[in-house]
Amino acid sequence: MLKKTTIDKLPELAAALMEKGTLVAPIKEDAGFNFREITDAKQVDLIFHNTIISPKSAFFPQMEDFVRYQTGKSILEAAPVELNLKPTFLFGVRPCDVKSFQIMDIHFSGTGVVDPYWQKRREATTIFGFAFDMNEAADAAEFYHTLGIGAADPEGSDIFMVRKDDILMLKVITPKGEKLMAGLSFPTDASADEIKYFDDYIAKGHDYKTRYTCVDTEAIAREFESIFDNSDFWTKISDACLSCGVCTFVCPTCYCFDICDETLFSQGTRRRVWDACMFTDFTLEASGHNPRTKVYQRLRQKVCHKYSYHIRKYGVISCVGCGRCTRYCPVNIDIFSIVEEAVKAKWYKRL
Amino acid sequence: MTTNNPYIPMPVAISKVIDEVDTHDIKTFRFTFLNEEDGKNFKYLPGQFAELSIYGKGESPIGIASSPTEPGYVEFTVQRAGTIVPGLVTAALHDMDEGGTIGLRGPLGHSWPIEFLEKKNIVVVGGGFAFTTLRSLINFMLHDDNRSRFGEITVIYGARTPGLLLYKDELAQWEKRDDIKTVITVDKGDDTWMGRQGFVPAVCREVAPSPKNTVAVICGPPIMIKFTLPVFFELGFSKENILTSLEMRMKCGIGKCGRCNVGFKYVCSDGPVFSLAQLEELPRDF
Repeated sequence: MLKKTTIDKLPELAAALMEKGTLVAPIKEDAGFNFREITDAKQVDLIFHNTIISPKSAFFPQMEDFVRYQTGKSILEAAPVELNLKPTFLFGVRPCDVKSFQIMDIHFSGTGVVDPYWQKRREATTIFGFAFDMNEAADAAEFYHTLGIGAADPEGSDIFMVRKDDILMLKVITPKGEKLMAGLSFPTDASADEIKYFDDYIAKGHDYKTRYTCVDTEAIAREFESIFDNSDFWTKISDACLSCGVCTFVCPTCYCFDICDETLFSQGTRRRVWDACMFTDFTLEASGHNPRTKVYQRLRQKVCHKYSYHIRKYGVISCVGCGRCTRYCPVNIDIFSIVEEAVKAKWYKRL
Repeated sequence: MTTNNPYIPMPVAISKVIDEVDTHDIKTFRFTFLNEEDGKNFKYLPGQFAELSIYGKGESPIGIASSPTEPGYVEFTVQRAGTIVPGLVTAALHDMDEGGTIGLRGPLGHSWPIEFLEKKNIVVVGGGFAFTTLRSLINFMLHDDNRSRFGEITVIYGARTPGLLLYKDELAQWEKRDDIKTVITVDKGDDTWMGRQGFVPAVCREVAPSPKNTVAVICGPPIMIKFTLPVFFELGFSKENILTSLEMRMKCGIGKCGRCNVGFKYVCSDGPVFSLAQLEELPRDF
């Protein structure tokens, strides 16, 4: 079922969704676009390439409160923080970012102990995927095509959107999306020409090139395993790295977190917050032992985790080629060129 | 978000505190569950650990020192951390008395592979403070219900000084039994020490357990492990038959927070128990 509406009706669509629950969509801020909860239906703006921070925060917020406690009182008085989630609509997510949710699902809810926060937020949310504009060239940092992700892949979205000039086409992908669409009165049925345009656009997405390098994930995983001990390679790669962690914070598939207690005047909250393997105290043990005191060891952990360990553990690469880490690195470290260098590293001359 | 939320600790009360060593920085805490239901559901095996949780301080992952054959409580032997890194949780716990309440999340991680150990001879090698989950294993194997499931049991346990030996009463009881061979050693004795002196690796060479149908379970400080492993290789033990428990900084304990990641394993949920053969598959990043 393909529906359509016009771009000038976006505020109307936004208002209809806001009536049903919480709408989270990209809005323009000083530094660029970011996903935020919409308070004014006119804020929704689909003229963006991609957001600075990935939309993972919709399911894995930077801070998630677990428990409120009072110091000096019995543990029995501590109160878990209830998650009272309204139906949530995550609007305008690019296909590579939608893919990141599927990768994170494997970790948070698909294997081992289920993370209740991730699962409940996922269940409460309907995803509106949004195809990249293929009339423009891809951003220089992006390489999702290299990882097999199309610029207009609808998989993983509940409703998938393609824009054609002033028309916004919306296709129902899942039963969840269908239920929502049935409750929206104004999108009208698309014409046969529009259905053809939509289908062609999705097919064309697979040929839309980002930076091109042929990637064999299994081979890359092995390559990284074989160069783990090549500290010359890692030292050179991490030469400029500030260990600031921005790559991990903007990343849609980085999931490391800290659990910490914050107390102020005896009132406290235990919460989880994003953490990063780039920080020196990430692996500092109470004994004083720390296996990753050097910058190169931490950058190695980050890169190997994404392109090697994760493949061996979960069978998928922990990267969607969104390019954020490269785009926002203050010293221009380009993660994909590290992958390329690693493939070449066997010929790397020892310094 | 309370039911089945793996991040919310269960309330427990301290029912007993044992000051283990003459430096008074290692104590065994016995906890009883404040909710009876939690106690019933807390089913564990030797080698597993739990997060000790004190609101306002944080959480610490600690190996379970009691054996599941001792119902009604769970024990942890905890060192007060703080010489290099301030240990907020362990310091707060050490300052608590019987009756104090804290939180507990667990049991976490994989146990010593009991089924794999069955019908085999077991050599338990421990050094210093790393003896806690080994004590759990020994008490489990020695229990009347379990003793016949295992072959000969040999324990080689060492500490720097006599005053630093843990579980002294139990060591004395084991020495009296004829179904367990107990070899206790200290690096350096004192005026009252009548027992053996010598480092654990040297004592292992002297005791020379046969590798035949035998599994070695080894826990200790890195330096002890480093010199003990070659002894067991010389004796003919295979890497599959040498087990140890890995340490890594942890937070969640359930394989989600990424902190204890080494190679394609999470030490908390894939370990902490590994065979030497499994460890050799991992990058040297711990």
